[in-house]
Amino acid sequence: MAEYTKPIPEPDPDSAPFWEGAKEGKLMLPRCVKCNRVHWYPRLICPHCHSMDIEWIEGSGEGWIHTFAVQHRAFGGWAEETPFVTAYIDLKEGDRMFTVLRGVDPNKPEEIKCGAPVKVEFEKASDDVSIAFWRAV
Amino acid sequence: MPGELSKAAAIVGAAEANEIGYPEDMKTAIRLHIEAIKNVSDQTGIPISMIDGVFGAGWSSQIAEHLGIHPAYIDTTAVGGCSFEMHVHHALAAIHAGIINVALVTHGENGWSQRATKGRGTGRPQGGDKWSPDALWSSPYGISGAPSNYSHAMTRHNQIYGTTPDDFAHIAVVTREWAGLNPRAVMHSKETHPNGGPITVEDVAKSRLIAWPLTLLHICLVTDYGGAILITNPEIARSLKTKPVWIAGAGENMSHSNMLEMEDFTATSAAASGAAAYKMAGMGPEDMEMAMIYDSFTLTAGLTAEMLGLAPRGEGFTLWKNGDARPGGRLPINTNGGGLSFNHSGMYGMQLLVEAYRQLSGTAEDGVNGIKGKQTSARSCVVNGTGGSLSTTGTLVLTAD
Repeated sequence: MAEYTKPIPEPDPDSAPFWEGAKEGKLMLPRCVKCNRVHWYPRLICPHCHSMDIEWIEGSGEGWIHTFAVQHRAFGGWAEETPFVTAYIDLKEGDRMFTVLRGVDPNKPEEIKCGAPVKVEFEKASDDVSIAFWRAV
Repeated sequence: MPGELSKAAAIVGAAEANEIGYPEDMKTAIRLHIEAIKNVSDQTGIPISMIDGVFGAGWSSQIAEHLGIHPAYIDTTAVGGCSFEMHVHHALAAIHAGIINVALVTHGENGWSQRATKGRGTGRPQGGDKWSPDALWSSPYGISGAPSNYSHAMTRHNQIYGTTPDDFAHIAVVTREWAGLNPRAVMHSKETHPNGGPITVEDVAKSRLIAWPLTLLHICLVTDYGGAILITNPEIARSLKTKPVWIAGAGENMSHSNMLEMEDFTATSAAASGAAAYKMAGMGPEDMEMAMIYDSFTLTAGLTAEMLGLAPRGEGFTLWKNGDARPGGRLPINTNGGGLSFNHSGMYGMQLLVEAYRQLSGTAEDGVNGIKGKQTSARSCVVNGTGGSLSTTGTLVLTAD
């Protein structure tokens, strides 16, 4: 496996289920037991109804492009990857994630549309951390 | 009808550090603060010892200590570039409540010099929290700095409203026109900067691509700046040699901190902070004779103009494109040359306040170099700051006597 040269997040205890799921290729999402709404990023309290009863569910891994940009300047390991497309993804379960979008041509951004469908995939960055990326389908 | 706090206090002076922009000798943030504070004290005749409230974006206690004063009100609200508009809001309330008489709002930031100082003298803590939402959920994906984030909002605006980057480029072009009237502007002319002087929409489009759809000339400068204003109650304001500019309305709000929580990428909380400010003032967007709107990016200014009710949704850029915002236009906007072409140190809210004071007090031509041409006839001004990633906003309605 090629060495992962880009920044690797340091998993925090409050979102441990996400990091554990990611290692197995599962998109784990926090959902409020009281109001049944999914939120992202993970919180200690539901940002919709303020219940602290949060469970984790396995998401479908499906979503849509909310909006995107093409990064022509970046730092660290990402500098070698420019240009690359970054995007906010509307999750099928609700709320939104940020990602580097795969399967699109960064030199033809006019062809990328808000609302286009995407699927999640995971890349192993280290033994402890796999990172979620989204790919146009 | 105006609210209870309307005009309960006035801005009575506004000054800058001795050298701003790209100084030859490196500056520390504290020097930029202190020079501006000394200058505004001299300008108003209010001794520094009379200041009993200190408002700064992050380190008010250090500034008060440096000045050797012991303020009764200490506010370090630091939520990005709009912090200073919020400070004015807070100072208005504190003065109205009788807690303090003279509020100092101060800013010093060596956005340019910190390259030479190797990151020292900024007054900011270094390094971030590795368990912050940004470190966990955003920065692993290669974004860094404001342009990489704001570009996503431009794309959404373009696709939802059918606008183009060229539409927004008019904002850069007109703002550069204003910079041509301000000798303190970094991009005033070829004398102040090799790339200074007038620009065209084509120049903006052909400038270096940073984060598509944003090219370099859609993006603000990174400079040094020091600025300070003094706010006081009506009684003291009437006794000074400088003219009062009244705080007729003030409001603040936020939609998110991390852009992950930005519900609508074509809207900001300026709609809410603006509505609060207009309500307090008993005025509306139709009563504004000029505007100072945060222009970290062309997008920020265009979008905020929509939120403040100065233009319909999706059409903010038309104020610049049709000439309203230009020198001599119906609604002058960003008369100092903006963050795009005058000065943007990282947080730009103080620059907005200093220019709004100068315009409404009739001293816009009496800048350090005294060049004529910049003074407008405006008697009212809406001032809006935006902080973070289109996150936080503070709006003021200021009026001349």
